Amino acid sequence: MHKPWQVSRRAALKGLGTAIALPLLDAMLPATAFTAFGRALQAAEAAKKTPNRMAFLYVPNGIHMPDWTPANVGADFDLPPILQHVAKFKNDFMILSGLAQDGARAHGDGGGDHARAMASFLTGCHPRKTHGADIKVGVSADQVAAQKVGQQTRFASLELGCEPGAQNGNCDSGYSCAYSANSSWKTESTPVAKEVNPRLVFERLFSDGQQGESKEARAKRNQARKSVLDFALEDANQLKGRLGATDQRKLDEYLSTVRELEQRINRAEQAADEGLPNFKKPAGVPGDYGEHIRLMADLMVLAFQTDSTRISTFVLANEGSNKSYSFIGVSEGHHDLSHHGYDKEKQAKISKINQFHVDQLAYFLERLKATPEAGGSLLDHAMVAYGSAIGDGNAHNHDNLPILLAGRGCGTLRPGRHVRYEKETPLNNLWLSLLDRMESSIDQLGDSNGRLNELSA
Amino acid sequence: MRLSPYLLSLLLLANQGLQAGEPAANPALAEAFAGQVKPFLKKYCTHCHGGEKPKADLALDKYLDQAAAAKDREVWEHVLENVRDGIMPPDPETKPGQAERDAVAGWIEKQFTQVDCGLKKDPGRVTIRRLNRAEYNNTVRDLCGVDFRPADDFPADDVGYGFDHIGDVLSMPPILLEKYLNAAEQVVDKAIYVHGPEKTPLHQFEAAEVGHEGGGGAHGRGWGLHSTGEVFVEFDFPAPGRYALRGKAFAQQAGSEPARMAFRLNGKEVHVADVTAVDTEPMMYEKQVRIGPGKKRFGLAFINDFYDPKAPDPKARDRNLYIDSLEIQGPLDGPPPPLSESHKRIIFVKPDKKNHRECAEKIIKVFASRAYRRRATADEISRLVKFVEQAEQHGESFERGIQLAMEAVLVSPYFLFRVELDREPNNPQAIHPVDDFELAARLSYFLWSSMPDDELFRLAAQGKLREGDTLANQTRRMLKDPKARALVDNFAGQWLEIRRLKTMTPDPKRFPGFDEDLRQAMLKETELFFSSVVEEDRSVLDLLDADYTFLNERLAKHYGIGGVAGQEFRRVKLDNPDRGGLVTQASVLTVTSNPTRTSPVKRGKWILEEFFNSSPPPPPPEAGELKEDDKTVLRGSLRQRMEQHRANPSCAACHARMDPLGFGLENFDAIGAWRERDGEFAIDAAGTLPDGSSFKRPSELKAILKQKKADFARCLSEKMLTYALGRGLEYYDKCAVDEIAGKLAQNDYKFSTLILEIVASDPFQLRRGKGAE
Repeated sequence: MHKPWQVSRRAALKGLGTAIALPLLDAMLPATAFTAFGRALQAAEAAKKTPNRMAFLYVPNGIHMPDWTPANVGADFDLPPILQHVAKFKNDFMILSGLAQDGARAHGDGGGDHARAMASFLTGCHPRKTHGADIKVGVSADQVAAQKVGQQTRFASLELGCEPGAQNGNCDSGYSCAYSANSSWKTESTPVAKEVNPRLVFERLFSDGQQGESKEARAKRNQARKSVLDFALEDANQLKGRLGATDQRKLDEYLSTVRELEQRINRAEQAADEGLPNFKKPAGVPGDYGEHIRLMADLMVLAFQTDSTRISTFVLANEGSNKSYSFIGVSEGHHDLSHHGYDKEKQAKISKINQFHVDQLAYFLERLKATPEAGGSLLDHAMVAYGSAIGDGNAHNHDNLPILLAGRGCGTLRPGRHVRYEKETPLNNLWLSLLDRMESSIDQLGDSNGRLNELSA
Repeated sequence: MRLSPYLLSLLLLANQGLQAGEPAANPALAEAFAGQVKPFLKKYCTHCHGGEKPKADLALDKYLDQAAAAKDREVWEHVLENVRDGIMPPDPETKPGQAERDAVAGWIEKQFTQVDCGLKKDPGRVTIRRLNRAEYNNTVRDLCGVDFRPADDFPADDVGYGFDHIGDVLSMPPILLEKYLNAAEQVVDKAIYVHGPEKTPLHQFEAAEVGHEGGGGAHGRGWGLHSTGEVFVEFDFPAPGRYALRGKAFAQQAGSEPARMAFRLNGKEVHVADVTAVDTEPMMYEKQVRIGPGKKRFGLAFINDFYDPKAPDPKARDRNLYIDSLEIQGPLDGPPPPLSESHKRIIFVKPDKKNHRECAEKIIKVFASRAYRRRATADEISRLVKFVEQAEQHGESFERGIQLAMEAVLVSPYFLFRVELDREPNNPQAIHPVDDFELAARLSYFLWSSMPDDELFRLAAQGKLREGDTLANQTRRMLKDPKARALVDNFAGQWLEIRRLKTMTPDPKRFPGFDEDLRQAMLKETELFFSSVVEEDRSVLDLLDADYTFLNERLAKHYGIGGVAGQEFRRVKLDNPDRGGLVTQASVLTVTSNPTRTSPVKRGKWILEEFFNSSPPPPPPEAGELKEDDKTVLRGSLRQRMEQHRANPSCAACHARMDPLGFGLENFDAIGAWRERDGEFAIDAAGTLPDGSSFKRPSELKAILKQKKADFARCLSEKMLTYALGRGLEYYDKCAVDEIAGKLAQNDYKFSTLILEIVASDPFQLRRGKGAE
């Protein structure tokens, strides 16, 4: 039955080891013609249908900007020491200078730049200063997309990190720790908790069924789950009517997660039998921080590749993190160091930490680029934003932010350049422009005042 | 003294008009406003924050008199913070002097924090709280009798007001519900035994790893049979009964019939399967057979080899059988294993043929009531019984039906949230006692981080919890229960910030002695020490200074204390007055240090924050940190360099409060070991506090801390009340805090008094509706 040049999905998976689910491999495209022209057409057709993805990577405490910002703009830009670590991908990313995140500024609220930076990074809103009562910032860019197109994949979005939320204490000058640990906000008052254990990420993505569970058993379990959720939904609706306003908001959060989970179970039932990918299940949180980051990057690649989700955030370390980087010879705490007081030695150490993080970014880009998809690579069908909402850790400034945007976004981005925007251009203009490219256009997000030009021109 | 955080976060009640506990008119405050505040605003503020377009939408020129100002609590708390911390006016505006700032700050504090405790008191309102991770683990343990901590895999709970169980902060991310559902499935699976073939022992064998006969070879982990042959395993069948024999296989097809696989027991054919599966999708083939006990050989054989090199399709010339794995499961009809205690406790009646519904009702009524921490309603019970009926209609067992009903209970908001109901949920004036079930749950989650036990439930059901001394007696009983360990893990662990110890990374070059054992020992010392105060009902002042601690050999050596041998911890009397009390424990000393050195600032700040609720404001952004080497401008010991740094007047005011406290602990290095020198410099542990009191060494510093016992008692009361309630404190809680701290002082600072007074307090006993927002 099979033509030799066509590989069934299953066969392709088998060839890679145990059953693996990949959406599209080149050879799976119907071979209607064998001319180069035919192939080109095919690739174009496939590219059109290949989904776009967005990933947001956050690094804390600002960056040593003299080692980050290229002197030249345009395609002929130079690579300062930090960017040297992604030199290999110079044609796959652009540096966007001059962007600002105004929501992170004090506006009369005093200290707390770290908490505000994380909370405002993807929301463009000024977080309400509170230890806990009435947390409020805004909906984040990733969650806007998750709400618009998230239902097309098994998971609306993926939230990853390497450090859990703080275990105790006041995180930053009167701000609840919810602000400094979460970049992703589903509503203005609901942060989306991130998963820090690679094993749990893997299980969530790929173990909808238990190992060796038959189709029938799984269908039965899904049926049971749905009736259990129906019961919970009924309880929640009944309870909500008996509560005061704040409590009702909490029940609303609960109700919406129940409905989402029901939808997800339905989608999983309709989706083809996914099986487990050819990827060793992670054992837990690796002791080595670099390995931890790279494992999370692998999982993001896997999630994109299997089209389990198209949207992800990844917080490499919480804002204000005082992690020691002794494994690269920097034993002082990152946050302590970032208040460098213009001490050259300290600045060099911060740069070293920045370079370590960018090394991990390089790994992520490498993996995306090495994953073929529809005549190109996964990186061609992705938009990876990397950066911080603090410029310099000593000045605590929130303008002229370090922002790198990698990938081609299905041909909607033209990487390989350094673009300098006018001072005070809202970072949220960038998010708005990325949302356009995810079929998730909205008119405004946070403090945005327009789209960012020059991304694709 | 700086206001504690709870007085600053008055965001909700700003515009609700007169509250219970609101201060009455006060002529002195009116005078101060007119004489000091108003001129201050005019001189420094209103040219920006006034007029037609006030900056930041903050119009300070509209407050013509004290009466107008008194209405906007929130605005003034904001002003207080900005003026006191010198944030406003910004550069390059003219700055007010310290005296002017103090006057304005003083007025705001007096105006907005003086509460008349004689009036009807406001007990506040706790936002509905979902169980946090620790509470979830403990609750399923006590509810279902399973102890496997499913919540350890849940996302971390966010922290507010220093604790991770604050209703306002605990949100419900989508991933959490998935985890709840998974956890519920695992919990019921462990708690209730449902007999079925899948529960019988299963033995799996990779085909490449077992015995082979005939023509073939390894194919991955499987075995390929290219001509007639067998793959077999010797297996000792434990008991007589029905066994499932299985083989996972596929075939390369050729000729007119599919590949055939024979199932053989001791060489005797018991079944033949047509293997139609192909390499992309191997299938499991099964035969169930009655087998006696003893060792037997189970084999899978290829019995219809075919080879035709002339067949036109090159792919259809050779028929081969590939076997991936073999399985033996059974006996499928063997007797079920003995039932667990948890199973027998939950399914406490066994249904006969006729009374399934009746039994299901009984079982579910008890389970759901315990899970919901109140009586389950008739409607709830009948909805849950449907799970049992439906399971049975689908041919499943009664026990499976109970499992499903339990799963539904475990994801219901009535279980996951601690629900407290008001008759008038949106009327802030409607103050009422929480009902007895709610009170029992408040008590058990406060002291045990878990659900009420049977005794508490019984008292609540009988309405006797508030009778006479019952509540106090119950509280004392609960404090003695091993479950009160939760106070150590969850209160002390967060209050003292020692949970952070597990993420601390002292520089291995400077502190080669620091390892995992030492880290664990540090934690254990503080846990045992805090426990001793709880269990022996000691004075809470012992936390500030004590002549005993708990050590094992590792930690004793670290402290330079002899005569302690072995891994186990024991109580050790301390002869050196410099060591003893929380601030001298390695756990606290390490979490308040930098990876490479001590931080007197962090230690001082820790003492102010955790012992006196009086943390200084954060440093201005450009403040900078200390240089790590002494070759640059600042020279000398760490202490001398800090003192040079403090010469900067914008830093001096706050550092004068923090640094001396930290200097007093300089004899303890960054992982808490004793030292007389830091590099080339001798340690100077002397200091003078802003109030003029001075000390020369750690023991003297601790003596000063102990003199501030009233402030410490107040701080501890605030922290413990926050923890007990699961909400941040508000200005009106001052009355309750005054009472608790007062009684604590009267009663020799006994730990039990702190707990008993909190349990008896209005915020713990009462609640009210929520104001309109």
